[in-house]
Amino acid sequence: MKIDIKQITEGEESINIRYKEPNPTVGRIIGILRGEGNKIWGRTEEGSVCIGLDDVLYLESVDDKVFAYTTDKVVRIDGTLNSFMIENDEDVFFRCSKSIVINVNRVTSLKSLASNRIDATMEGGEHIIISRRYASEFRRFLKGDR
Amino acid sequence: MKNEKKLSLWERYLTKEISIEFKACLYFFAILFFYCVCRMIKGSFEAEILHMAEMIFTCYIICYLQVYLFGNFDETETVGLRECIGVTVCTLLYCAVSYFGGWFGKQLSVSLILAAYILLTYFCVFLIYRTKRRIDDRKLNEELRIFQTEHKK
Repeated sequence: MKIDIKQITEGEESINIRYKEPNPTVGRIIGILRGEGNKIWGRTEEGSVCIGLDDVLYLESVDDKVFAYTTDKVVRIDGTLNSFMIENDEDVFFRCSKSIVINVNRVTSLKSLASNRIDATMEGGEHIIISRRYASEFRRFLKGDR
Repeated sequence: MKNEKKLSLWERYLTKEISIEFKACLYFFAILFFYCVCRMIKGSFEAEILHMAEMIFTCYIICYLQVYLFGNFDETETVGLRECIGVTVCTLLYCAVSYFGGWFGKQLSVSLILAAYILLTYFCVFLIYRTKRRIDDRKLNEELRIFQTEHKK
């Protein structure tokens, strides 16, 4: 992608974006310019899509690919779970295992399991196990102590 | 995410060890109670240190088996074949050690009563852990609702 940056001393500041097909990178740039901080861009089989962070139930990392799950879509997003957590400074996402980040606002119920694990039932009915390693932190997270 | 808040391998190992120690103490006191009652029924008000040492070592070893081999059956959510085998093997081990260690004067009938008592103890501990989890469920869900109310946009 060719990047043309030009400093001006007078006149109105402007940014022109020229693209052939919408893609996650362009989508993210447009999102930043429009101030759409709470949206992410990704790919589905139909092409590039933009989803609101509030709609994301959970994110899963499979073979170094990150997928965001909503109630009706599975969207592959760029980056890693760590980069997602850093870039999206939302205080409702919690890393509950090495490969899964959940949106706590979309959890319908929690169940305490043996060995200090927690079973989180998501709005879509999926059960996500919060491992013992992360369970104590999750309890603190719920209390607002991050 | 703050990585320092996650439990390290050492902390996780220590947590498991503490839970085994706690379990061993729990079952040791249960067996010691049974032992003392038996001694008193026989008219003796003395307990042998050797028997108590055997009890605590037996409890430790069986609790290790219980946790690492039989899926920690007294804390489990559902009881399956593995848990049933675990309960049977552990109970038989207590029964055998009590008989061969002469805790009850090598009376098989008393060792068998101990086996029944151990089974009852396992059942009670299972119920206690289950109740504890139910209470924890309620607390967790209350905290979840509060969190979601505070973070709704």
